[in-house]
Parts: sequence; C-alpha cells; structure tokens
Amino acid sequence: MVKFLKLYEKIGIFILIVAASIFLTIVSPNFRNMDTILGIIMQGSYGAIIAVGMTLALTSGGFDLSVEAVMGLTSVILAMLIPQMGFTLSIIIAILASCFVGMINGVLITKVGISPLIMTLAMQVILRGTSLLITGGRQVVIAQKSFMTIGASKVFNIIPTPIIYMVVIFIVFYLLLNQTTFGRHIAAVGSNEQAARMSGLNVTIIKTLVYVLVAFTASIVGVIRTSQTLIGIPTMAPGFTLNVLTIAILGGTSLAGGKGNLIGTFFAGIFISMIYYGLNLLNVQIFYQFLSVGLVLLFALFVNGLRIRYLESAKVKGIRI
Amino acid sequence: MNEKNVFIELKNIRKIFPGVVALENVDFDVRYGEVHALVGENGAGKSTLIKILGGAYQPDGGEIFIEGEKISISSTSMAQHLKMAVIYQEFNLIPDLSVAENIFIGREPKIGKSFINWNKLNNDAAEILKKLDIDINPRKFISDLSVAEKQMVEIAKSLSMDARLIIMDEPTATLTEKEVVKLFSIIEELRKKGVSIVYISHRLDEAFRLSDRITVLRDGKRIETKKTSETNQDEIISLMVGKIVNDYFAGKKEKTTDRDIVIEVKNYNIADYIHNVNFKLYKGEILGFAGVLGSGIHHLLRSLYGAAQKTEGEVFFEGKPVDIKNASEAIKLGIGYVTEDRKGEGLLNDMSVLQNISIIIIKFLTFFKGIFIRQKKELDVFNKIAKELDIKYANINQRIIYLSGGNQQKVVMGRTLVSNCKVLILLEPTRGIDVGAKAEIHKIMVELANRGISIIMTSSELLELVNLTDRCLVLYKGKLVAEFNRENMNEEKLVAAEIGKLSYANN
Repeated sequence: MVKFLKLYEKIGIFILIVAASIFLTIVSPNFRNMDTILGIIMQGSYGAIIAVGMTLALTSGGFDLSVEAVMGLTSVILAMLIPQMGFTLSIIIAILASCFVGMINGVLITKVGISPLIMTLAMQVILRGTSLLITGGRQVVIAQKSFMTIGASKVFNIIPTPIIYMVVIFIVFYLLLNQTTFGRHIAAVGSNEQAARMSGLNVTIIKTLVYVLVAFTASIVGVIRTSQTLIGIPTMAPGFTLNVLTIAILGGTSLAGGKGNLIGTFFAGIFISMIYYGLNLLNVQIFYQFLSVGLVLLFALFVNGLRIRYLESAKVKGIRI
Repeated sequence: MNEKNVFIELKNIRKIFPGVVALENVDFDVRYGEVHALVGENGAGKSTLIKILGGAYQPDGGEIFIEGEKISISSTSMAQHLKMAVIYQEFNLIPDLSVAENIFIGREPKIGKSFINWNKLNNDAAEILKKLDIDINPRKFISDLSVAEKQMVEIAKSLSMDARLIIMDEPTATLTEKEVVKLFSIIEELRKKGVSIVYISHRLDEAFRLSDRITVLRDGKRIETKKTSETNQDEIISLMVGKIVNDYFAGKKEKTTDRDIVIEVKNYNIADYIHNVNFKLYKGEILGFAGVLGSGIHHLLRSLYGAAQKTEGEVFFEGKPVDIKNASEAIKLGIGYVTEDRKGEGLLNDMSVLQNISIIIIKFLTFFKGIFIRQKKELDVFNKIAKELDIKYANINQRIIYLSGGNQQKVVMGRTLVSNCKVLILLEPTRGIDVGAKAEIHKIMVELANRGISIIMTSSELLELVNLTDRCLVLYKGKLVAEFNRENMNEEKLVAAEIGKLSYANN
C-alpha cells in the first residue's frame, strides 16, 4: 500500500489523464482535434491558475476560501474603471486591490490568529457584499471591445491567451516554490511553524505574502473571465473555490501543509476540465457535473487521507520511504 | 520468585511491515510483580513489541498467553480490559480536558446514567495524584502542564485503571532526578502489590536499579533475557549494540583557559520564572545548567535566543549590550539553539534532510539578489556538515522524520552549526536517543568547544553535566543557588543543590 501511494503521488494524475484521454477518444471523434484539446486546456486554465496560488497556501499550512469572491471583485472594479481610465490601468488597479485583500487575509490570520478557514470564508462574504454594493446588484456591461484581446484572443491564431497565462504563472510559481528561498520558507512554515520560527524565519510576513499571491492568481482569472464576457459580474463564479481546492488536492498537495506539488496541480486542472468536457459530450445534466466534481474532491481527499494514514504509520514503524 | 508465575507470555512473535521485519520470533514473558526491563537501540523493535502488548498492532505470527490462556489482543480497549496499560512516550492525553477528566476518560463517575459526577471525578483524581505525591491540581487543563507533569498524569491514569501490567516507554526521559526517585518508589510499591511492569529505558542504570530481568532486543530479534543480578551494564550495552563499547563518555574536553567573555547576563529577570540571575559564558566553554522542574532554566535559555522575553536585566554579547527579541536576531549575533522538543519545534517534518540542514542559512546560499537558491552550494554545505557530524541518511531527499532520533538530533545541531554560531544552546541534547548516538553527540560537543564554540547545555541526566561541563550553574525556583566547577562537581552535589539543599554560600 505504501508503495502504491508513493507511486500514485508521483504519477497518479498522469494515469488519470491518460485514462480520461482514452475514454474521450473512444466516445468522441472530435477529441483528436487540436482545437478541442486546446479548448479543454483553456477551460482548465482558470481553475489551474488559482489552484497554483492555492497550492502555495496549502503548502504554507493555510488555505483560502475567498478566491471566487476576489474574481467577482476584480470583475466589478474592471467594469467600473475601464470607461474612465482604459483597461491597462484598470487591470493594474484591480489586481492591486485584490492583493490588498489577500494582505488583509494574511495579516488577520497571522497577527490576530483567526483560523484561515473562518477568515477567508468571512472575506468571501464581505467581498461578495462589497461587489454587489458597488454595482447596485447589477451586472455591468463593458463597452470597450478591445479589452477582449486580453482573454478571448489567440496567440498566433492558435493558442488561446488563458493557456499562455497559465503556463507563465505556472513557471513563475514553480520556480518560486522550488528554487527560491521564499518557496523554501513557505514549505518550512507549513511543515512546522514553530520550528520555522525558531530557525529565524519571519512567519508573519511569509504567510501574509502567500495570501497576497493567492489573491493575485484569483484576480488574474477574474480579469480573463471579465474580458471574455465584457461584463462586470459581482457574483462571478459561485462555488468555484471548491473547484480550485479539488484541483490542488487532486494534484497531490497535502492539506496538512509542508508539501506542495505544483506539477500535479497543473495537470489536475486539465484533468478536471476533461471531466467536464466528457460529461458535456455525453449530455449529462449539469447537476451531475456538480456531483462529479464533488466526487473527485472526495476521491482526492480519500487518497490524501490514505497517504497520511499509511505514511504516518510507516513512519511510526520506522520504515524507510 | 517462582518461575511458573507468568502473567503474560509472548511466543514467536513476528511482525512485518512492508519491506521490514520489525520483530522476528520474539519470545517475551512477564511474571507477577516483576519489573522486566526492555532495552535496545532505536529501531530494535521495542516500540513494536509494546504496541503489540497494548493492542495497537496485531502480530503477523506467534501466540500470546495470559495466565496460560491463549488470547489475542485485538484492540487497545481489549488491552485495557485485560488490565494492561501502556504509557507511551508521546502521551495519550487530551490537551483541552482537565487532569481529572483525562485520568478517568471513558470511565467517568456518573450521576444516574448520563451526567458526570464532577465532585467525585475531581476528588478521585486528587486522591490518586496524592497517592503518587504529585502536586498537580486535577482541575488544571493538560495544555497548561509541563512535559514532566503530563508524564505524571499518564502514570496516574494507568494506576487508576488498576492495571495488572503497566508498560512504561521511557518514563524518565522527561523527568527530573527528584521525580525519577518518586517514580521509582511508586514502581516499588506496585511491584509489592503484584503489578507487573515492563520498563523501557535508554538509561541502563535505571534498568539495573529497578528490574528483575532484562531483555535485550536488537534488529527485531530477542538477543538475550538475563536476570539483572547476573549481568552488568557493560555486558548489556555490548549485547545491545552487538559490539563492545568501552568508552561511554567520549572523554573530557580540554580545560578552557580562555577567559574571553562571550555572553554576560546581568540582573536578569523573567516575571515568575527568573529572579536576578547573573552569569558569564566564556569562549570555548561548556556551561551546564541544572535544575528541577520550576527552576526557570528553560525560560532563561529560551529568552537568550529571543523565544521568550526578559522583563528586566541586561545581556552583553562580546561586550556589547544586546536586546534579543526574536530568533532571527539571535542567529544574526551567532547564537544557535537546539530544542529539547525536536518534534514540536525542531524538525521540519515534511522536508528533506538536506532542507532541514540548510533552512537557517539558505538565504545566504543564493544568487540573483538572494532570491534563487544555489543548489550546488546548498549541497556542499550539507555534505560538509553531514560528514563532520557523521549523519546517516539514505539520500538527501529522505524525509527527516524517517531518520533515527540520534541522526535527527545531529541534523538539528548541524542546522545551527552551518550558520557559524559562536554560542550553542543545547537543551537535553541526548534525550530519547540511543547509547551509541549519545556518545557521538558528546564527542561532537567536546570537539565544538575545543574549537572555540561556547556551549550552554542543560540535561536532566546529571551524569551528562558532570562529565561534559566546565562549570555547572544550579537554579532553584528561578534563583542561581550554586556554581560548581569541574573539580568540585559530582552528581550528589548537583542533586542536593537542585532541590535547594545546598546554598550558594556554603559552596
């Protein structure tokens, strides 16, 4: 069992993707089409981008439930500002505002000691409320068509821009987590906060920055989605947080902190998108789609639980892994 | 003692974990009213054996007999039902419940069927604690207790169950000499009443003081079971390690002649814990601190590292006044700290051996303005210290928790050493590690001191202080009551001073 889990940790998500690919190839002749594949990846990129940020949060031993509301906030800010100052500056302001939200999350969690669960849940509701207040509860149409190039165009007429953003963010965060001191510090804090503190790390700053980064990724997706629809939607992406968490956990990042697997996150994002595509293809009702993502999360948590249980007991028994 | 009066007998016990045979054909028996010591290095199979006794593990082969009747201990509650109690090193106490609730958990006295009889609960608990001469308020929460107090509560808990067999896993590891004496008298009492005890300890002198028989495990096999009266410590140690060990203490360090003061502490106060303490630490010196629970030593040493705050007083580091507010400032000055609570605040559990070593200095092993880690440099630093301290690991990516206690301790020490510290604060440097590794740690400490690093250490094993330190300061209730140097220091004097029997003046 231990060996199986070790193997799963390394290649589990790839096996899932291969299995899903084979399935989709059989049921859908369109699947072999490049556009279809890119479409699936693009659909997966939204969750994957935020899940990359979420992976950092999980690695640091926390997590963030406010991401979907940060998307809504970004969307609303864009809709309100673009008519006045054009989209470049608006995007910058929207992202900075989101980062500020992340900072508040981080400061309250570290300084006041509020549990991340409650803090970010409260933040989710607060942001939703604020976004609705700003627009008076309505959706706001953005007239500036050129804004669409951000999220709804294709590079070289082939690759949808969201995929590019996803790859760039993945690479940057991958380097951040695995090659930089900051990444090392994040893992240390998630691994044993007290030991990290005793090693001279500034736990408060590290954790706060992590929440800023999560909000940053959520804001990026907020920008992309808003640009695609050209509508500022205060209630954007309800329930999307769960999707994001599912991706991160399915990718092999432990809820217990200390271990982040960004490559897993990246591919888990694509896998989830494949599931949606497959279900759509089979004309499965939307209710079942919700159900299936829930089941995938449960499966991911189940494996995560098994892993902790077996590896912990292996440790107790002094088995070398 | 009658050979036939066997309470529990294990025959041919075998336990296999994936890839590892943890126990192989182990025979083990405990008689009525016997103290049976179980010794062996880390990884010898002691923990597995007691977990089988306690019902936490099921053996893959072999038989268990209680009073001649074949049984299987299928669960921990089954073990309880058979009146067998295990006191694990890592306590099974619930931090958010009171002492009394923990002692009687699952067996709370009730009013009617559902309501807890709080008065009876607290009174019964108080009575048990009093019987053990333990001064703890049964209404206190476990989370407010010290490690030593938690241990005493564990013992009280097993006694409250009328256990016929009590298994104690390293019961004295966290106790002070005085508490150890208390524990021993309790064990004597229990023995007289016919209660059997399996006693596991790294401290052989304890095993010899207490036990009727000693069983030595090595690599999952039972090597020998000997009558204590018919063997000696040297023989047992050689059975444990499989080779002859002559030199338990690596040899004393050279006497320091250096009089450069590295740290000077003046009129130091920490509210409730430390009162007007003054001392100096010289270069290349090993300075010991001795004291029983409540001496305030831990607070004092933690505050020198910035992990606790002083309320009054001055600290001079190399002559300059300093105010150390957190660990990062202490590290900058060149102070290293090795905790006694490896698991709680030492190890980065999810991370590799390599990453555990480099965590403090990683920010200096970088390029591009301190952002990116220079993997090669990190590896060099690691290899150097791993060689120097002789750390044994499978590969650099091996998770730290899979190392033995001794190697974990070396990693935690190595972590501070690579940051080029001038002062090393070591709390219980050899707690919970086996004899061989212990000698190695001692050797490392002596070498470091000879190299000019000043070491402050505390240990509940007084012999360690006597053998290693140049000077030893004794704290009692937060006050400095005695100072010994190598010439006039011995275990007896330390014990006396620790419990306030020898005043500073008499010395």
